[in-house]
Amino acid sequence: MDMEITAGGKPFVHHHSAHCESGVTSALFREKGVEISEPMIFGIGSGIFFGHLFFVKMVGLPITTFRGLPGSVFKKAGKRLGAKFITKRFRNPQKGMDELRQLLKEGKIVGLTTNIYWLSYFPNRFRFQFNGHNLIALREIEGGFRVSDPVLEHPVDCLTDDLERARFAHGPLEPHGFMYYPASVPKNPDIKKACIKGMKDTCNMMLRIPIPIFGIRGMRFLAKRIIASPQKLGFDEACRHLANIVRMQEEIGTGGAGFRFMYAAFLQEAAELFGSDDLKRLSQEMTAIGDIWREFAVVSARIVKQRGNSEDNFSKAGGLMLICAGREEALFRELHIVVRKLKA
Amino acid sequence: MKTNEVPQDITYYEGEKRACYALNDEGKYVIIPSTGWSAEEVFNSLAVAELAANLEETRKAVLNGFKSPLCYHMERRQMTPEILAKTAGIATFRVKRHLRPEIFAKLKLSVLDRYAKALAVSGQELKTVPKSINKEGNHH
Repeated sequence: MDMEITAGGKPFVHHHSAHCESGVTSALFREKGVEISEPMIFGIGSGIFFGHLFFVKMVGLPITTFRGLPGSVFKKAGKRLGAKFITKRFRNPQKGMDELRQLLKEGKIVGLTTNIYWLSYFPNRFRFQFNGHNLIALREIEGGFRVSDPVLEHPVDCLTDDLERARFAHGPLEPHGFMYYPASVPKNPDIKKACIKGMKDTCNMMLRIPIPIFGIRGMRFLAKRIIASPQKLGFDEACRHLANIVRMQEEIGTGGAGFRFMYAAFLQEAAELFGSDDLKRLSQEMTAIGDIWREFAVVSARIVKQRGNSEDNFSKAGGLMLICAGREEALFRELHIVVRKLKA
Repeated sequence: MKTNEVPQDITYYEGEKRACYALNDEGKYVIIPSTGWSAEEVFNSLAVAELAANLEETRKAVLNGFKSPLCYHMERRQMTPEILAKTAGIATFRVKRHLRPEIFAKLKLSVLDRYAKALAVSGQELKTVPKSINKEGNHH
């Protein structure tokens, strides 16, 4: 945790977070005096999800997601906690940068959506063309900006040129210089009510979307594809696909096990808030499920590394995912019942 | 995952650490910074090696006159013709044509400038590719 000073002279505490969007949103709330943790924002904003978009390809590989659409956590959490945010997009990069400078001068801190490839303060191997990375600009400094990037341990300096390129990058999900900052945040938001809303929404998203590539059905769909992949695609190509799934699960700021541990942390916090033993038990179950996801990653790593010479094979990896699907289905069904008994 | 199980395998984070959620001794979730996980590195290496191999192939193709240097610089920035077209403000079909060396050679300075700006390279750099393997294809 690092102390920083904004242009308005206010102190800002940087919290190391697992995920960029929930980290930025919770920091914006904290700055307004509402102490709320990253997992809480993630749970209220219904961040956890699953989807296998086999027809959308990045570098020739289908997209697997463990969370909702980029931007949805911020939107949902803000709405459910009764906060009003001002959001802006720009056509003209110059205008977008000028307005950012103006806001910072007024002492505000501003959330920005950026392309991670152009942020050169990241280690090289994390940099790829992805237009959904969020960070907070704190103040202008010589030649750049002081930014609080929640997935890094400490605040960093970002070059002006880098930030402009990152904010106005092109490609899928173009940010168009998207920026956001709170207009009003209630002093004592009704966190309990927001939690209930978030949990109900999550249950619906995981269990009730009638398209078989989302939620629990999506997991089963993908697990079957993994099991069939070596026959269908050949060993090398199947490895590439498998590798991509695990990268989405572990590498891009998920807090471990494709956000499952972060959701378990949310359930734990909610259990204390409501004094509910049911939620506490569900949190423990979520942790156990997260551990199976980690095992899936380990088994997959062995498949890729040992080129099929070990006992680990695609059926075992797919099997683990099927176990996750079964247990998550039971968990969300129970959560759906538990949440109805909770009192806001 | 318990706090003592958070992987601290030294990998490629270049000194950065990533936040992981794990249970402490009292069974409470806390954030533990992780230096990286060896299992995860397997997959990242695979992806990095693939990008590097593709880039190297393109570099050779440029030196042998099959592709234009524009193609190399585009791939170095992990872009596709569609993304480059939007960034430079040039129609996609034209960008695709400019990937052919004989057409690229005849480009006007104004068009080259737009590519150079879009790809964050100098005008000189844009017309050439490195003579030897470029290990840090990602550099600014």
